[in-house]
Amino acid sequence: MSDDPEVLLDVKDLTVRFGVKRGGLFGEPKYLYAVDDISFQIKRGKTLAIVGESGSGKTTAALAVARLVEAYKGTVDLDGTDFLTLEDEDLRQARAKMQFIFQDPYSSLNPRVRAEKIVREPLDNLESGAKEDRQQIVDKLFEAVGLHPEQQRLFPHQFSGGQRQRIGIARALATQPDLIICDEPVSALDVAVQAQILNLLRKLQTDFGLTFLFISHDLGVVQHMCDTIVVMYMGKVVEYADRLSLFNNPLHPYTVALLSAVPSVDKKRRAEMKRILIPGDPPDPLDLPKGCRFANRCPVAIERCKTEQPILNEVALGHQVACHLVDERAVSPLS
Amino acid sequence: MSTNPLIPKDNVPIARHPAAEAWEMFRRNHAAMVALVVLSAIVLVAIFGPYIYPIDPFDMVWAPFSPPGVDGFILGTDYLGRDLLAAIIHGARVSILIGLAAALMSVFIGVTVGALAGFYRGWVEEVLMRITEFFQVLPTLLFSMVIVALFGASLPMITFAIGIVSWTAVARITRSEFLRIRELEYVTASRASGTKNSKLMFKVILPNALPPIIVQAALMVGSAILFEAGLSFLGLTDPNVVSWGQVIGSNRQYILDAGYTVTIPGIAIFVTVLAISLVGDGLNDALNPKLRQR
Repeated sequence: MSDDPEVLLDVKDLTVRFGVKRGGLFGEPKYLYAVDDISFQIKRGKTLAIVGESGSGKTTAALAVARLVEAYKGTVDLDGTDFLTLEDEDLRQARAKMQFIFQDPYSSLNPRVRAEKIVREPLDNLESGAKEDRQQIVDKLFEAVGLHPEQQRLFPHQFSGGQRQRIGIARALATQPDLIICDEPVSALDVAVQAQILNLLRKLQTDFGLTFLFISHDLGVVQHMCDTIVVMYMGKVVEYADRLSLFNNPLHPYTVALLSAVPSVDKKRRAEMKRILIPGDPPDPLDLPKGCRFANRCPVAIERCKTEQPILNEVALGHQVACHLVDERAVSPLS
Repeated sequence: MSTNPLIPKDNVPIARHPAAEAWEMFRRNHAAMVALVVLSAIVLVAIFGPYIYPIDPFDMVWAPFSPPGVDGFILGTDYLGRDLLAAIIHGARVSILIGLAAALMSVFIGVTVGALAGFYRGWVEEVLMRITEFFQVLPTLLFSMVIVALFGASLPMITFAIGIVSWTAVARITRSEFLRIRELEYVTASRASGTKNSKLMFKVILPNALPPIIVQAALMVGSAILFEAGLSFLGLTDPNVVSWGQVIGSNRQYILDAGYTVTIPGIAIFVTVLAISLVGDGLNDALNPKLRQR
């Protein structure tokens, strides 16, 4: 449990593994470590982003925090309660404090349920208050996310992608949660709608004092939305810093490469930033290298990187990085 | 806070229930519509026929082997001089009742087994699916004959005997639908908002898994009627009630001399089962969203 009262969510040593195959009767069970020993904290009212490429474990980490995937070990401390040790009824009640916005607005709404009932479901599950009160809350939520009251009676397929995501957001807000986990909430939407939804999320954050855990692979979105950023690669945290430090002084070679891939309309910035291509593929998650997991693609890797796993080090105030080539001077090995 | 200016207010579509859309699709299938009319007529006959035509099918009312249309008996008389039309009308009740009850029973068992197996996975699934396989490999007709022979040929026992051998298909369909739907985001979303397991299973997943189950159930009513006909042809039937298969069975020795005594109940079975199959096919069109765009 965190001593800092400012901290809302404190994740420690979170590990998620999946058994891959039984390997016959006597074979050793093999495990895929989708999330390997990650820790981070989010302060009240702030937004933390987890970024990384497909398969880096960011979504699994989010699902494990919300107890939608079982973690192998670690703690998820939300405002003093360890989410991972809660059981049945306690967990069901506690879920009201932590809600989820899903990536795909086309599959995250039950096609047979009217919009108003989708939004009301979390309230119905808690059986909080009278039925009329719940309906009033639904009315307010529809207004808050910018939908017409007439649309309450419609079915999900009668909405556009952006409207569907608004329904998903209204559902997440229904129980007045402290934390909302947004799993790539805009990646399935087109750009114009993305901006609307992101602005809506920001507005709701200030209106309701929400804290966000934001999962994304889009650094442009992250820069717009987030205060702190966790960069993941192959289930590990490679860099953990506040927005300014990360975008102005990316240290890990992987982060530098990621940032160099963000398109920019700024001519000056484009000239400064050399695109760094990272060759090859990520290693086999079932047969991870002994050393740094990025070593086989890293342009500056040395012998030590292949044999020794780097640990997360605080190299500057609020800036942690897991790389052998970065020291207290906080200079990226690529510069 | 203002509402979204991008959605003009008069552009809000009307709320249509999925059932209304399904009916629209069903109506486009002409064969199914005809079959629905035929089936409705048969059901009406089964319900009201015995009151309109109150001749007891077991009464010997005329000379044996009177051909259809002769002596005022529209469908003629059988080898004991019993009115065949009365047998068809009264038999409709039994055949359709057994068909419905047996299908209902298989749906009940099949959905329960399939839902538990598909939802909980793990050892629950292993155990339930092995039991399902056990029932699948049983020779179905033989097994139900044994049940009826052992426990007596009453209507409930015949229904049970048919239901117990035909639920496996429903169980497998339900399980596969559950396996697919439980991974969808709206189920995870529902779980994330604190929905209880029982509600997740029967209120969230099951309604979305229903279309193929309904189609299967409709087809099963037809096969249950056939099954009952088979059993009663073999004499495994309640001797106190008349059914179509029983009429065929009791007249089978005279098939060469008085063919109509077995043909007429045969046609009744054929038409009913065909109508049910076509309606099932129409339901498939109506409820299967993958065919919607066709």
